[in-house]
Amino acid sequence: MKAIWAIASVMMRELVRKKDFYILLIFLLALLGFLSSQSFFNVEGISRYIKDFGYSLVTLFSFIIAVTFTAKQMPGELESKTIYPLLAKPVSRHTIILGKFLGGVVISSISFVLFYGIFCIFQWIGGTGNSFMLLGQGFLFGILFLCLVCAIAMFLSNIMTLGANITLSVLLYIMISGFADSVRDSVLFSKGITSVLGGIFYYLIPHFEFYDLRIRITHSWDPLPGWIVVAVALYTCIYCFVLIYFAGLIFRRKRL
Amino acid sequence: MREVLTANNLSYTYETGKKKVEALKGLSFAVNDGEIFGFIGPNGAGKTTTIKLLLGILISQKGELSVLGKSPTLPEARKSVGYMPEIANYYRYLTPVELLTMYGDIFGIEKKLLKARINELLRLVDLEKESDRIMGTFSKGMMQKVSFAQALVNDPDLLILDEPSSGLDPVARKNMREVIKSLRDKDKTVFFSSHELSEVELVSDRIGILNRGELLAVGPVEDLLGEKEEGQTLESYFLNMIEREI
Repeated sequence: MKAIWAIASVMMRELVRKKDFYILLIFLLALLGFLSSQSFFNVEGISRYIKDFGYSLVTLFSFIIAVTFTAKQMPGELESKTIYPLLAKPVSRHTIILGKFLGGVVISSISFVLFYGIFCIFQWIGGTGNSFMLLGQGFLFGILFLCLVCAIAMFLSNIMTLGANITLSVLLYIMISGFADSVRDSVLFSKGITSVLGGIFYYLIPHFEFYDLRIRITHSWDPLPGWIVVAVALYTCIYCFVLIYFAGLIFRRKRL
Repeated sequence: MREVLTANNLSYTYETGKKKVEALKGLSFAVNDGEIFGFIGPNGAGKTTTIKLLLGILISQKGELSVLGKSPTLPEARKSVGYMPEIANYYRYLTPVELLTMYGDIFGIEKKLLKARINELLRLVDLEKESDRIMGTFSKGMMQKVSFAQALVNDPDLLILDEPSSGLDPVARKNMREVIKSLRDKDKTVFFSSHELSEVELVSDRIGILNRGELLAVGPVEDLLGEKEEGQTLESYFLNMIEREI
């Protein structure tokens, strides 16, 4: 565990010492600040718009941090040859993958905590806050979503280039968030082999839409029932475990 | 004397598409406890492949390999091994202290002990004043010093150095030679590859000459040098041996 954490901690220092995070933070503050200032002039419906737009920004910026930082870890190690002294230490290749994954999860979670905190503060200032339970669920789902994103980026980083990895991760996110419901509907209404293949495809894709509480938060609906939260957490754990396990297997077979 | 490192009939072939390159052809040698073993050979001789096999970075396709009595593919075999790579590239956004702390943590060294060890190592490589500077601003020689320090962080029984003196100024080279010699006094084993034949001659107890994946000669430096004609240097002896093969 100490070795995994030691590998992960390097990524945390990278986050602190590189500009990417600060740029996104300033950008978020500026956008939320601008939108909030609009509400002072009594523009109708702006509070709901701030919630909707703000939550989407928080998710998007954390997603960017998670994908870019996690995806570049393994190609970066190989390109700069820093992987060799690391492999010469008493760690297995699975440990390295696990450490890098944990690092990705921790830094994107730290970013999410800050971004989400700012979002909550802006809601509180605007007097349009949600219940603590719903905000807490939004927070938990955000972290689970980032775990899944990091696991996908880590898995893909072992089989494709950095550029291809980031492009595919972004495409997956956009396509699945936007069209997962349509895929489900078409599977439900199809028959025969199409139904079987469609079903397999539907259950294999990472369901980013499970984590999206944007509408619920925007309209201040009731929090989700506990069993759904548990089911989504379990789904995330299993999906991440499978991806990281296979990422480790691929990395172990890689000739360096 | 205990054999710390043994290679028996070791072979390795790189395959890229239909092309096959035999990097090692039945390599056999042993390195004893407490000796300094110099591994020399021209570019493409198979030195780095041998080192990668010793560290478990590559897995041997044929033959047997043992490092400190264990298969190098097992992480436990690397617990008492230090490695300095040929290209000293480390995380540029870290300071030397942070890098050494990270590696020390991977070895599971206790916090207090690690702190003392890091201070000692930075003093040894003359980087005390730069201990909290980001490594992105370091020169090649300074990175090489960091690389040497990280190889020693776990106080290894076996030290594997790949071209350790490249990029170092003459003073730093001399210091490194002295450190390597002092390791012998502490019964540590050093296996190092180098192009600097004078350096190999000055430091090694035994040397192995590798060419095209085959070991041409191995033995104590004095024995090998005794075979050469009068007035010849190790360099000309080495060149003669390689040319004979060509």
